[in-house]
Amino acid sequence: MPALAALRLAVYLTVAAGVAALHLGGLVGAVGIGLFGAALLLGWWLRDRRQETPGLLRALVIAIALVAGLDLLYFAESAFDGFVRLLVLLVLLRLFTARTPRALRDAGLLAFFMLVASTAVTFSLGFLFVFVAFVAAGVAMLILAQDLAEAERAGGETGVARAPGAGRGFVALGLAASAASLLVTLALFFVIPRVGEATLALRQPLRRMLIGFTDRVELGAIGELETDDTVAMRVEVGGGPPPAEAFAHLRWRGITLERFDGRAWTTERPRRVAFRRPTTGAFEVWPEPREGGVPLRQAVFLEPIGTDAVFAAPHAVRAWFRSVSALVDDSGAIAVPVPSARLQYTVESHVGAEPWGGPLGGGERSRYLQLPPLSPRFAALAQQVAGEAGTDAAAAAALVRYLSRPPFRYTLTLERATALDPLEEFVFVRRAGNCEYFAAALVVMLRTLGIPARMVNGFQRGEWNPYGGYFLVRMGDAHSWVEAHVDGRGWITLDPSPREPPDAGGGSARVSLWLDALRVRWYRYIVSWSRQDQVQVAAAIGRAALTSSPWRLPGLSWIPASGLVLPAMAVVAGVFGWLAWRRIGPLTRAGAPPVPRFYRRALRALARRGLRPAPEETAREFARRVAQTAPALGGPLARVTEAYEAVRFGAAILDGRGAAEVDGALRVLASGAVRGNGAATGA
Amino acid sequence: MRPGWPPAVFSPRRTISPTREGWWCLFVTIGLGVTAVNSGNNLLYLLVSLLLALIFVSGVLSEQTIRGVRITSLVPDEVFAGRPATVGATVVNDKRLPARSLVLETADGSRVIPVRWLPPGGDRVLAWEHEFPRRGRHRLPGLKVTTRFPFGLFVKSGRAQDPRDVVVYPAPVTSAAGRLSVSSTGDTVETRRRRGRGQELHDLRPYRDGDDPRLIHWRVSARTGVVTVREMEAGATADVRIVLRGTGTPGADRLERALGEAVALTLHFIGRGAAVSLAGPGVAVPPGRGRDHARLILEALALYEPGRPAAAATPEPARARDVVVDLD
Repeated sequence: MPALAALRLAVYLTVAAGVAALHLGGLVGAVGIGLFGAALLLGWWLRDRRQETPGLLRALVIAIALVAGLDLLYFAESAFDGFVRLLVLLVLLRLFTARTPRALRDAGLLAFFMLVASTAVTFSLGFLFVFVAFVAAGVAMLILAQDLAEAERAGGETGVARAPGAGRGFVALGLAASAASLLVTLALFFVIPRVGEATLALRQPLRRMLIGFTDRVELGAIGELETDDTVAMRVEVGGGPPPAEAFAHLRWRGITLERFDGRAWTTERPRRVAFRRPTTGAFEVWPEPREGGVPLRQAVFLEPIGTDAVFAAPHAVRAWFRSVSALVDDSGAIAVPVPSARLQYTVESHVGAEPWGGPLGGGERSRYLQLPPLSPRFAALAQQVAGEAGTDAAAAAALVRYLSRPPFRYTLTLERATALDPLEEFVFVRRAGNCEYFAAALVVMLRTLGIPARMVNGFQRGEWNPYGGYFLVRMGDAHSWVEAHVDGRGWITLDPSPREPPDAGGGSARVSLWLDALRVRWYRYIVSWSRQDQVQVAAAIGRAALTSSPWRLPGLSWIPASGLVLPAMAVVAGVFGWLAWRRIGPLTRAGAPPVPRFYRRALRALARRGLRPAPEETAREFARRVAQTAPALGGPLARVTEAYEAVRFGAAILDGRGAAEVDGALRVLASGAVRGNGAATGA
Repeated sequence: MRPGWPPAVFSPRRTISPTREGWWCLFVTIGLGVTAVNSGNNLLYLLVSLLLALIFVSGVLSEQTIRGVRITSLVPDEVFAGRPATVGATVVNDKRLPARSLVLETADGSRVIPVRWLPPGGDRVLAWEHEFPRRGRHRLPGLKVTTRFPFGLFVKSGRAQDPRDVVVYPAPVTSAAGRLSVSSTGDTVETRRRRGRGQELHDLRPYRDGDDPRLIHWRVSARTGVVTVREMEAGATADVRIVLRGTGTPGADRLERALGEAVALTLHFIGRGAAVSLAGPGVAVPPGRGRDHARLILEALALYEPGRPAAAATPEPARARDVVVDLD
């Protein structure tokens, strides 16, 4: 491909990557992308056809200034949006009017600011791909532009036209330079000192408030979420995938709801307590000791969903947030008011520690026994199902068994068939619904039996992603279950929903899981990389250096660690010495160019005759001595010496005749032709 | 400060200066860096890292391309005032990787020659014409190799060679041709084709004991396998002494013209194999033959300064004839 065409292609790709970045941030819509693509194609098609005049250029600039001014004043949502559109117009103008390699390259350089603009509004994984594409195309563009600039310097426009095309060598160079740039970029990114916590994009769009995780939840709201396949959060648990038997029913608890009006659940959170971050950094969200259970530390990466709820395995005891405060109510539900602090946090829970919580006071008990005006059929059914159960726990278990077996079945298709209240229709007529109906029915029936109960909304465990080592929790994993306070001892978890477990559907495609794992690493190590991470990594490296002995191979175990200090220092000193020699070497060697090969050949030939230069002897002195001791060799050596001095010290270059003469002299010195004539007397 | 101080090891082997685009890159890096620190936005840190990485990679690749490139300046043995002289340099790539986007520059920036590609072990001879308007000792600026490879953000320069002194001879004045055939004594200059110690080749013959080894014709010897020596023609003319008469102070033009005549005479007689000497105020070059000797005379003429006191009389060589050049 001709170099100029290759440069134009690289510039277009660079600009396309910039526009894609803007699109990721929502700064350019699909229509804008289409228009921009059409403009690029048009520009490519017109690249050799247009003959713009200064007047046309001036008119374009004025038009763009007018459009940008009007946009900034009247149309743009903010000055930022206006300036971004102005940037796009400037890049287009530059592309259309560029006639020289330098002008083309400037258009590509302007595209860099598109990436800068997009960083204010996005941090999605797509930015990674756009960034890599931008680096590859941008590096190729810079190299080509530089190459063509040199060609232009040498031969003007003719030089550019005659510049060699971009072949394999150039592609290899471009790829190597791109790869090197990316590697160095990554290295620098991790070591550049941070001065605080990582922040998110200035204008990160938050999703709508999730209807299942607010202070008021209509019946059926969770069912709506269960049809949503987008990712809600990812949860890393220490030590790889937890044993299935221990965590078969793992759920991520979010909010609790205790008041029911027949159609919706609400919470008033009368005993919510604000915690300020202690000096240790860990919020002790449940100061009372948890009995039993399995400690589970979870690192949660929550998508920016519109709820202040913190999702964690039940029985959370402490948590780490990038926030100065956290809210915890008497049910153990945690909330963090700062949206960015909810996106990544760590919680430690004691899974399976049941029952938990102490006896309820009078006010609390009445709160968890509240019932709306309901059909008396609920109480009758509850009494009938509980039967002769002697304890609250046995009654609750009987109710769970009743609801989780046919004729009750799980469905997301909720069609009203009667004019009854939704819950009454579910229990006595339809007997099919989503988890929320099952949980609501259980709470109501428990309360009719005098057992305090509450609704819990959260997520099922999710799908295990082996590539990332975390649970992938989707919106569709949203779930409702029940907590009941039994026998005056504490709260237990009950789940009457006959919903299939998370893995029943066969899981996601491998590519999808791999991409999601990459997304998690992007968030974890790029978007959220902070000073704290740097300190932790530095400390870990320090610990590893102090405690591990990776060099102690089996065969070398007899060497004490201290015995390796000196060799290690010697290696380091050697490396530094070599580097210094490389730096100093050319200076000291500059005055003494290398000995020409033909003179070395002459010396070897003479050495075979026993004639060697003394250390202090110059070449000319040696030639004179040879002429005295072996006169027949003096002539050839004199010629070779003359050429040697001219080449080595006079920076001369032997022409064809001179080289032939030297070659002839060397043959005489080497072959003994003179001796054959009986003229040589050398030893 | 004494010469050689500071030691060369403390002086930079390379100099780096940003181009216009390089300055932009630096400014944008600083600006984005400040913004990244203030905002804590890691994607801005990523872009700052990219710019720094480009600077780093640019430094490594440019060093790779400029390392091992050697310059040898080429200056002709004889340079005459007012006549274009071909000067230049040989650029040699001594490393195993190609060198790209090199530029050979004079230290004063007066000459810039791009070398876009130099293969491993390859060399390129670059030459250009340079005209010295006046005779005398001139200084040719040193040469250095620079590169903007790979991104055009920085210009990296190798250390410039030391300036090179050039003695520029007076331009030969051809009107001196009238003198060339007649000496001051009126004798004509003759050529005689006979063997001798002149410059022209007379014949080739096999080597005999006692022959001057320097006369061995190595190429013919190598081709034929018989050591062959050259027989030269005898000197073409009688020996000549060029005498500068006067001081040269009355007029510069006249002086330059006279020196040009002396140059033309020197070249003529040396070319004919004559032994030529030079005598004049403050100038004395003993008789000698050959091109090297001619350069001694030409250098003396190039550096001649008017108004010098008359030199002590130099012994006139036997059989030498005087050719007088009036400086005034």
